[in-house]
Amino acid sequence: MSRAGRTSPRPRGGALLVIAVLVLAAAAAGQVTAPGGATDQKHLVWNGDRTVPAHLIPLRDENDELIVPTETNPLPYSARFTCGPCHDYATVRGGWHFGAKTATTDGRPGEPWILSDPRTGTFLPLSYRAWPGAYDPKTLGLTTWDFTLLFGRHMPGGGPAEPSDEEALAHPEARWNVSGKAEVNCLACHNRSGRQDHSEWAKQVLRENLRWAATAAGGVGEVGGMASRLKETWDIADGPNLDDHEWAVVPYVNYRTVDFDSKQRYFFDLNYQPADERCLACHSVSPAGETQWSADPDVHAAAGLKCADCHRNDLGHAIVRGYEGEAAETGNRTAESFTCRGCHLGENAAGEKTVVPGRLGAPHPKHTGIPLVHFKRLACTVCHSGPVPKDGFTRVRTSRANRLGVYGVATWSTDTPVIIEPVYKKDARHKIVPHRLVWPSFWAKKTGETVTPLLPEVVDTLAGDILKPEERVSLTLAALSQVMAEDEMPVLVSGKFAFAPNVDGGVDATEEDGAAADRPAFWGVRKGLEVRPLVPDFDPAAADKDPAIETRFQELLQALGTVAGRPGEPAIVVRKTLYRFVGGYLDIAEAPAELAGAAGPGWLVDGTLAPLAPDFDIRTITAKAGTERTLTEEQVGLVLGALAGTAGDAEAVYVSGGRMFRLGKNGTLVSDSQAAAEPVVWPLAHNVRPAQQSLGWKGCTDCHSGGSDFFFTQIKGTGPLLTKKVEKRSASAFMGLGGLFQRIFGLSFIVRPVFKLVLAVCAFVAGSLLFLAGLVALGRVAGFLEKR
Amino acid sequence: MLFTIVTLLVVAAALLGLAFHRFRTTREEAKSTILYTEIVKKYLAWLALRTIQISRRASPKAWWGYVQRLPLWREPILEKWLDICFYGSFLYLAASGFFFAIFIPRGLFGYPLIGHVMAGGLFAVCLVIIVLFKGRDFIAVPKPALLSLTLLDPRKMGITAARVKLWAFWLFVLAGFLLTLSALLPMLPLLRTPGQRFMFEFHRYSALVSTLAATIFAGLEIFARPRP
Repeated sequence: MSRAGRTSPRPRGGALLVIAVLVLAAAAAGQVTAPGGATDQKHLVWNGDRTVPAHLIPLRDENDELIVPTETNPLPYSARFTCGPCHDYATVRGGWHFGAKTATTDGRPGEPWILSDPRTGTFLPLSYRAWPGAYDPKTLGLTTWDFTLLFGRHMPGGGPAEPSDEEALAHPEARWNVSGKAEVNCLACHNRSGRQDHSEWAKQVLRENLRWAATAAGGVGEVGGMASRLKETWDIADGPNLDDHEWAVVPYVNYRTVDFDSKQRYFFDLNYQPADERCLACHSVSPAGETQWSADPDVHAAAGLKCADCHRNDLGHAIVRGYEGEAAETGNRTAESFTCRGCHLGENAAGEKTVVPGRLGAPHPKHTGIPLVHFKRLACTVCHSGPVPKDGFTRVRTSRANRLGVYGVATWSTDTPVIIEPVYKKDARHKIVPHRLVWPSFWAKKTGETVTPLLPEVVDTLAGDILKPEERVSLTLAALSQVMAEDEMPVLVSGKFAFAPNVDGGVDATEEDGAAADRPAFWGVRKGLEVRPLVPDFDPAAADKDPAIETRFQELLQALGTVAGRPGEPAIVVRKTLYRFVGGYLDIAEAPAELAGAAGPGWLVDGTLAPLAPDFDIRTITAKAGTERTLTEEQVGLVLGALAGTAGDAEAVYVSGGRMFRLGKNGTLVSDSQAAAEPVVWPLAHNVRPAQQSLGWKGCTDCHSGGSDFFFTQIKGTGPLLTKKVEKRSASAFMGLGGLFQRIFGLSFIVRPVFKLVLAVCAFVAGSLLFLAGLVALGRVAGFLEKR
Repeated sequence: MLFTIVTLLVVAAALLGLAFHRFRTTREEAKSTILYTEIVKKYLAWLALRTIQISRRASPKAWWGYVQRLPLWREPILEKWLDICFYGSFLYLAASGFFFAIFIPRGLFGYPLIGHVMAGGLFAVCLVIIVLFKGRDFIAVPKPALLSLTLLDPRKMGITAARVKLWAFWLFVLAGFLLTLSALLPMLPLLRTPGQRFMFEFHRYSALVSTLAATIFAGLEIFARPRP
């Protein structure tokens, strides 16, 4: 066994023979050496060579066996046993990207993982690090398995995706045995090859092909099959499923044999420093709605620097994050050199000139005319980083929160959660720092001051049908679409909107020009731009009625009969005539007295005609149409009522838009401000703008004016709930500064040019008089004036 | 911290010096001995006594009476308002500046800062007017200096209270000029960070010099004025 050790040794009979044969074969060819020892210091101490050696190395699988690509059913390569012999795996896996669960210090808050479930209105910040506002996944009952499936798409392996054997065994419901563990994926960052495919990684994680994901994403081999479809009893030692080649196909690897040499060594095209594209796969942040061609890179990137030039690390992968105070927190003194102040000014966090400035050609800023107080109270990033402050802030999308960078047939990226920047706020050092902000939204149980969020699955189960009006309408529309012509689409029309089914099982709303907001709902058929009623008005008793109508009714009723969970049999009532589909035929009869007044399509329930979609559903989807909101106050009230029954002594609450909602004494929805509803923020540092785009370049009034966006733009709480009850704050309030003072101070800049002129005149006159008085005194001391 | 220490030492030295001047010129016991230690002992005893006497007499009412009796109120209207603006702005500038510099680690900020800036402008204007129209009253008329070793002898330099008052006036004007300059320059796009830092310290020490000059001038003026 190599020094890296095995994580899940399994007894194998036949495998031993195979191993023996392989080892003998390798030894005979003299091509493969055993992995180096962990104590081989040659690889830990740099010898001064600035080149990256060619990585032509034998691939080894998770059993530390040599991979021969032409063999039958080779296993995926294992970074632990392939890279580990030279780069101590245990050291690497303690790094920043992998050590969230085990780190001794949490560091400055960063972007939390956000558990997103629009249907239940859940956008819940999570982190294994104790960052303000972020919940520990463990407290929510999320296992590392759950966490990996939720967020593994943007994880570089290791950490939660590679739990200890004890942890894996503690949760038998998890399928680690089937999927394997996602080891630290060295290629995710260090692969220079254009074959590195983040989308493939995400796809493999979602298929639960965790042990295969690195091989597939790195372009080392093509991976097929889905571990998610295998029985939980399957083990990798079981091999392929001979009975199923279509559905439950065991994951397999077809290696790119062209990248292997005759000695079965694989060529890795690697970077010592990861390329920016590798970092940006998980760390992209872009303004929502911005076009790609108009987006500028960070000024450092434009100057030729790479992310890893500043965010560097040693083998321990404790990556320098680059904030002031990091050196003191982590004990890594080198970090002082890679803060803004360290690199550009040569100052440490205390402002002492202890750092050699100008690394990598960092220019020394002039800051001409900027008063000192700015350097005491503001972080460099306030003026230089993020978007320029504007009214209402800039909405951005991030890789991890909005699932960017994953491409495929399905659309992965999302508009929500809503993240805005730059929100200026004081940090622990009382310096104002630009932050990104997200308003959390989630269901929870509240006991005293303790708020325990509920997972979306729990809420979904307890809420029953309350959260599914779109789903129900979509089911009906999808059923009707079975009998539509190619150029026809069934729609539900309500108010200004027409709703059509979409592929996600929901409905897409289209606003109709000129439609009134109070237009009654009806089911229709859209053909081109025209929408006509699904059930036309006609006289069933008329002799000249269109015979095709009854055929059409039969088709519609037949289609409606396929709707899952329908409350009754479908029926259509037209002017006291009842159409039903009975025994394979259209039954036309006079409508009974109970159906007097009923019209159109519906469900026969207890002798009455219930509408195809309840008023609640239509009311709900109409209210939310054209917005990003996924819940109405009515829905929240109903769900809170449903949750109350299971909450015991705790109170069921819902958080959205900076407010906490609960049911009042009379059953109405009430809200108030609570700590748990506070927005979650984390500092931003990039993109750094060029000096000419920094705040203050055009003068003090960039910020100090009577109505500057820097101080006075409003932050409004956003969330999935359609409500006017949202938290509102001014930017200055967020900074902890008095708004009135800033307004008065800003207004003073209107008269400041005059003030400067007055001071200049005063200084000139006073200086001149002093000069003259000095001359007079000098003349008298010298006796010149006395002589006159 | 350094500025705080220097400020406290300078102000203490100025007040003790003025008190000693009064002690030497008014008290017989100050002239009863030539031994420095004896003089210091008597001075300290007198100082303690005076401090107790003044503190017993001091009250808001007494201070208000003192202010009402100032000759300021009997001056012509323009001069009266000029003096009110000048003294008022200077007192506010000194009070706000030194209080925040000494007791508030963050320094001057908020509304007091706005007041400080406004008072600074008023002070600069008043100072210029006073120097322009009253400066001639403070031009000393020294004899032409003779080149001899007596120039280096303090006892023969002719240092009198009246002359110190004149020097204090011009020192105050000089400090006021520097204060104006050090307030103006950081507002212009001229100075980089080291220049800003220098000007910040320069402004503080100019303020200290102006306060010292004002204290000496006022002390000598009040001492020389006949009791009401």
